[in-house]
Amino acid sequence: MAAAGKRERRSLWIAAIPMALLALSCVYPIYFAVNNALKTSKGYILDRFGLVTDPTVQNFADAWGRARFSEYFVNSVLVTAGAVGLLLLLSSLVGFALAMLRFPGRRFVFVAILAALMIPIQVVLVPFYRTVEGLGLLNTRVGLVLAYTAFFLPFSIYLMTAFYRGLPRELLEAARMDGARFLEVWWHVMLPLGRPALLTLGILNTLYCWNDVLISLLVLQDRRTLMVGIAALRGSTRPTCRSSPPGSCWRRRPSSSSTSSSRGASSAASPWAP
Amino acid sequence: MIDLRHVSKRFGGHTVIDGVDLSVEEGEFVVFVGPSGCGKSTLLRMIAGLEEISSGDVWIGGERMTDAEPYDRGVAMVFQSYALYPHMTVAENMGFALRIQGLGAAERRRMVEAAARKLHLDHLLDRKPAALSGGQRQRVAIGRAIVRDPKVFLFDEPLSNLDAELRVQMRIEIARLHQTLANTMVYVTHDQTEAMTLADRIVVLRGGRIEQVGRPTDLYDDPDNLFVAGFIGSPRMNFLPGVAAGPDSVRVAGLEVRVPGLSSRLAPGQEVQVGLRPEHLTATEGVEVPLAIEVVEQLGAMAYVHGSLAPDVPVVAEWRSGRPRVGERVPLRFDPRDLRLFDREGRRIR
Repeated sequence: MAAAGKRERRSLWIAAIPMALLALSCVYPIYFAVNNALKTSKGYILDRFGLVTDPTVQNFADAWGRARFSEYFVNSVLVTAGAVGLLLLLSSLVGFALAMLRFPGRRFVFVAILAALMIPIQVVLVPFYRTVEGLGLLNTRVGLVLAYTAFFLPFSIYLMTAFYRGLPRELLEAARMDGARFLEVWWHVMLPLGRPALLTLGILNTLYCWNDVLISLLVLQDRRTLMVGIAALRGSTRPTCRSSPPGSCWRRRPSSSSTSSSRGASSAASPWAP
Repeated sequence: MIDLRHVSKRFGGHTVIDGVDLSVEEGEFVVFVGPSGCGKSTLLRMIAGLEEISSGDVWIGGERMTDAEPYDRGVAMVFQSYALYPHMTVAENMGFALRIQGLGAAERRRMVEAAARKLHLDHLLDRKPAALSGGQRQRVAIGRAIVRDPKVFLFDEPLSNLDAELRVQMRIEIARLHQTLANTMVYVTHDQTEAMTLADRIVVLRGGRIEQVGRPTDLYDDPDNLFVAGFIGSPRMNFLPGVAAGPDSVRVAGLEVRVPGLSSRLAPGQEVQVGLRPEHLTATEGVEVPLAIEVVEQLGAMAYVHGSLAPDVPVVAEWRSGRPRVGERVPLRFDPRDLRLFDREGRRIR
């Protein structure tokens, strides 16, 4: 018995080693970016991989002020918050309707939404740009919020519909018997019960919106979001090389728990032209 | 209180409820019974307003409610699965309808506490449904209905998810509740013990149609047809093939028996089904038939004896004295007045 327990512990330790290495590989880019962001220009050139010896926050101040990150940051926060809020609201309402209500054409609507998932963004970029321009929404945060909502809504609706379909229909019927109308059923019953799915959706959509460059670049051409700002920084010769690691720190802020953030961090930590 | 006037429900081309007419008096406890798929739950949901009515009318409390929203009908429903809101406490569940009505928190609490006391739920008001047992959840579901003080209570198989002991307890509680509140109650079940013990009147449904409506004892003693005779009673009534031997006598299991009290005359040679309940086969006097015992279901105070009166004539008899044994051949007696005759179409011959 004791021998078996010892064997089990040993095998657990053996399994723990590759897992720890994997975990380190995810953490390392974050360490690399933060470590370099705190270095002076000289410190960075002399020892790119070593631990910072004379930490400074000047790089953050430069990025925040001179590279207009403060403005980009506000843009990103407002646009992401607006789009995610709108996405959660709409997808919860539509998901509830598609999952619980009986109306003609319900299946067709759901299939059409599913079909929309299969169209890559790149295919519709030109008509999308013309539509945004035609509506006078170019270079407006509202335009970008609506664009994100339009592009990410099909998946959000699909997820919420699938979640609400798993809830017992009797809950809706009980609420109707209790006198709740459509919006009251949604507000008092479906929305609180949909919290786990909404939380997941909120995280995913925040990542999509925060990390997006392509749609943002098209809609918000003059004002820029943080990601577009960082992408532009990488091609620019004006800011010092030290501005980019702080930039990648901003970039990582809302998405440090995701794999996409790891990808973002890796690319940010890659060598760039001084 | 409730009037169903030729109501029908069709799903596509399939008729689930077929022209049902029924009146439920105020304060009455009516139970819908029938086999699975007979439409009893659909009929209840049509009264509740949860199912659209394809044709016909529903009147509740003297008002036409065919197209009214569920809440506007003044009915409350207890669901089979309880349908409690899992994110709300017991008090919030019970007070939800009052909250929707716009009642203040203090008034809601007072009304919820009053209803909770009736159901012994006062100590559970702050718990979530997940922290309750099946019986407690069922009581909360009933409490949620009570707190609204509806004109009509609708129960859709409310006890089917409970274990046998709890089911008996809850059955008594529901009966007590009906005596206390004196509201009209419509109850759906497939359990005929529930139907027999709770109902003022039973509605037996089959294939979306009403087979018979009546008091439990009327349905048991005087069924209109073969289906009701077989459906009401456990174990079910024995049906023996017979042939009319005269205007008021039948030949059954090798015996010629005169059936007293028949108002119609049998045509000699007419095929009939002779119905006899298991408890009527152990009379102390009457016509005697031998039974070869094949199986004994011993229940302690009594036993159900399965055997054959003749080849291909199986019967079940209720045995209350002694301990019958498999393989024995025993004499059974029945009173011819307990025989029920049915024609080839299953209609009762009276």
